[in-house]
Amino acid sequence: MKDIREDIAWAKINKDVLKSLESPRKLYWAILTVAIAMVAVAVGCEVYQYNVGMGVANMDNPHVWGLYIATFIFWIGMSHSGTLLSAILHLMHADWRKPIYRFAEAMTTFSLMTAGLFVAVHLGRVWQIYYALPYPNERGVWPNFQSPLLWDAMAIFTYLSSSILFLYVGMIPDLAICRDNIHSGWRKKLYTLLSLGWEGTDRQWRNFRITYLTIACFLIPLAVSVHSIVSSDFASSQQPGWHITSFGPYFVAGALYSGCAAIITLFIILRYVFKFEEYMTLPILKKVVRLTFAIAMVWTYLNLIEYATVWYSHDEASKHVLIMKATGVYAPFWWMMNFCGSIVPLVMAFKRFQTNIPVMMVVSLLLNLGMWLERWMIVAPTFADGYYPWTWDHDQWPSFVQWGIVFGSFGWFTLLFMVFCKIFPSVSMYEVKEMVYHRSLANKKLEVTGMQESGKGAH
Amino acid sequence: MSVSNLLENWSEFRHKHPVEDVPHDPYKWAMSIDLDACTGCNACSVACYAENNLPVVGKEKYAHGQAMHWMRIERYWPEDDREFPDQGAQFLPMMCQQCEAAPCETVCPVGATNHTPDGLNSQVYNRCIGSRYCSANCPFKVRYFNWYDYPTTENVWPAEMTQQLNPDITLRGKGVMEKCTFCIQRIRVGQRSVKNEGRVLRDGEVQTACQQVCPTNAITFGNLIDTESKVHQQWKAQRVELAVDEQTKDKEEGGSDLRGYRILEELRPYPSVMYMERVRESAI
Amino acid sequence: MSKRHLLAIFSNFDEAEAAVKELRGSSIKGFDASQDLVVKSPIEHPEVEEFLGAKPVYVQWFTLVGALAGGLLAFFLISGAQANFFDQIKGGKPVVPFPPNFVLTYEMFILGGVYISVLGFFICAGLPARRSPLYSSKVSEDQIGILVKTDEESAGVLKGIFTKHDALEIQEEAGK
Repeated sequence: MKDIREDIAWAKINKDVLKSLESPRKLYWAILTVAIAMVAVAVGCEVYQYNVGMGVANMDNPHVWGLYIATFIFWIGMSHSGTLLSAILHLMHADWRKPIYRFAEAMTTFSLMTAGLFVAVHLGRVWQIYYALPYPNERGVWPNFQSPLLWDAMAIFTYLSSSILFLYVGMIPDLAICRDNIHSGWRKKLYTLLSLGWEGTDRQWRNFRITYLTIACFLIPLAVSVHSIVSSDFASSQQPGWHITSFGPYFVAGALYSGCAAIITLFIILRYVFKFEEYMTLPILKKVVRLTFAIAMVWTYLNLIEYATVWYSHDEASKHVLIMKATGVYAPFWWMMNFCGSIVPLVMAFKRFQTNIPVMMVVSLLLNLGMWLERWMIVAPTFADGYYPWTWDHDQWPSFVQWGIVFGSFGWFTLLFMVFCKIFPSVSMYEVKEMVYHRSLANKKLEVTGMQESGKGAH
Repeated sequence: MSVSNLLENWSEFRHKHPVEDVPHDPYKWAMSIDLDACTGCNACSVACYAENNLPVVGKEKYAHGQAMHWMRIERYWPEDDREFPDQGAQFLPMMCQQCEAAPCETVCPVGATNHTPDGLNSQVYNRCIGSRYCSANCPFKVRYFNWYDYPTTENVWPAEMTQQLNPDITLRGKGVMEKCTFCIQRIRVGQRSVKNEGRVLRDGEVQTACQQVCPTNAITFGNLIDTESKVHQQWKAQRVELAVDEQTKDKEEGGSDLRGYRILEELRPYPSVMYMERVRESAI
Repeated sequence: MSKRHLLAIFSNFDEAEAAVKELRGSSIKGFDASQDLVVKSPIEHPEVEEFLGAKPVYVQWFTLVGALAGGLLAFFLISGAQANFFDQIKGGKPVVPFPPNFVLTYEMFILGGVYISVLGFFICAGLPARRSPLYSSKVSEDQIGILVKTDEESAGVLKGIFTKHDALEIQEEAGK
């Protein structure tokens, strides 16, 4: 089990990463084709739904929200671990994040873009979606700033644009490397344009460091606020099973959880497809797995706390919803969610599985299945067993349109992500160099102090 | 100027509802429904379909829960050992409760649903983008969504029936939320006509469609502020107050024998509809 | 007097540091180390800042201004819109309710902070930049470059310093 070599030549880092822009394995094209086919399914379903009406999604009164909202939360949640890796671990100087944070940050951006589509897909009159924008108009009509959905829109816009800026700013030095090494075609023009004439001067680096740090500092509270705002769609409503105070931290933990699981999945795929074995090493996988395990346990705790408080509060309506989740029509999914979310991660506690790639692939997919079910189990059951007995209706089932669009969204995400990885360096070259450099310095320092006990190393 | 307006009228902008100090003036529309008189005949529901151009969705969509009955008659069966036909159903006419602090209003992202000065919960069809959050947050589930484009759907209004559509009301296209308005088209016509005479509406001058057709006079509609109105007198007789989440009469020792109550009052939507409990064992 | 550029390439930071120290210590005619000296490196290297001497960074002021402006704009835009244009009671809440407005203020605070920080970065770092007269793609790979601007006649002295510190390569602007 080898980590990144400290004596790896910097020129080799450039060469290896740049190669990922040119010649991935054949599997890459297979993944891309499948992804496009999946998107086609979703587009077909959406066209049908747009033309005929939301009824084809098989929603009704009271089941007005369904898989769209559940999957929307899922994708928003997925985005959070990118920020965890790129911002929180950046502030904590965890250098092992450096080879993998770029793709995690890209994951943030693209899962937010996917989530944004679900807002549109969910709306009954998507062609009027601009009504939700606060633009001045002669009618003097504004959106309702009290609505958690509007906070959502604002938070997601802030998060998406800040993430794109963060991703872009962090990529400028690498874009300059691409510019210097790729000499023909439209890419040369693209990299020249995007690298903004970066030359690695001291002035550029000095301002770069501060800016990167500043945005990282902003992104952490932003990420937390985004998912707690999403949780306030539910927590600040009045429905039993939604109106729960602990939803803020619960959603944030769930978000980090599913995001970390997705990072493991993508780590394994990228490592193989783009031949990044030397950079996305098993020790890094091990660290991510341990992090995921810790977050899984936090999530499990918050999940149990939610059940416990609902049970103990004697709020009859909420309690009824909880009981019906465990025993009613949703029971198979509810139990599966608890199994995938709380039992499956226990595999990650065992050292020999932590670096076992096939096992981790399966586990990470199961965790995300569990987290998707969790969102569905938050959104849907309250409609079947809400306050008003007349609406207790258990016959509702999402139609193929809903399932098709949810299915296709995974293709859409994969498509965006894979295209990104082919066009932009998905391993941060300059930061891997930094990581290697600082590690070798530290080693040298150890040797020097060990030999001379002078305590005065080279740096 | 905007900032000075903000500062000058600050207290007005920080005003909450429901309130005792400045009640709605001169109108606060409210209803009371006598469940003892209700026979579950569904005439109110039919009248509502006719008055408000509600689409008739057909058997299949009705079974799917996609019906558009703004006014619906709910049936409940007591859990005792008798067979259904012997025991008889208990009926509850349910429509939008026109809450003073409506949970649906705060959550609409585009502000398509608002509290009107006469105490109604309005729905602006043109503004609605169909997020359905209002319905999700409505404790009574009395908001109905246009799952399909009903005006262009076959058999919703068969050809000869289109002549019968109410010209005072728009047809709603797909993707729009709608609900009971307390027949606001009638209220507005009434208000405009009495404005010319320089007076306010008297009790009975405006009737809702459901009230008008109820064979047993179970539904009473009127202006709660007008002390002469029947609805005011019924609310007063039943000691039901608008701006409270628990009635004073219920807090008294031993409770009260009065029949008036409001549904899900404890959630603090402050509904404008009072129901009067059934005293008969069951209907029919 | 005509100026010309020189770019020396070093294989590691130690050599570059030694060269820079000597340049800063020397007094060469027509060459001011604080203005005419640029170090180019493939990685962010805090020591570069140390041996170049303290140079201020102003990005954080952009951040402060951006964040405050974003927050204030949000609060007054929202409250103003609620009160002036859309004076509607919703859900029994005040026309200008604080909790939702604070949520949006918070978001706009961050939005303004991030946007203006990035703007500040571009301004302070001089991006997008015109490419400097001398550049080697080795700098984006693994070597350190020192770009100097000096008088025609002092070029030789500088070249001597670079060679002394084992410069791998010295590029020279074509004479004018």
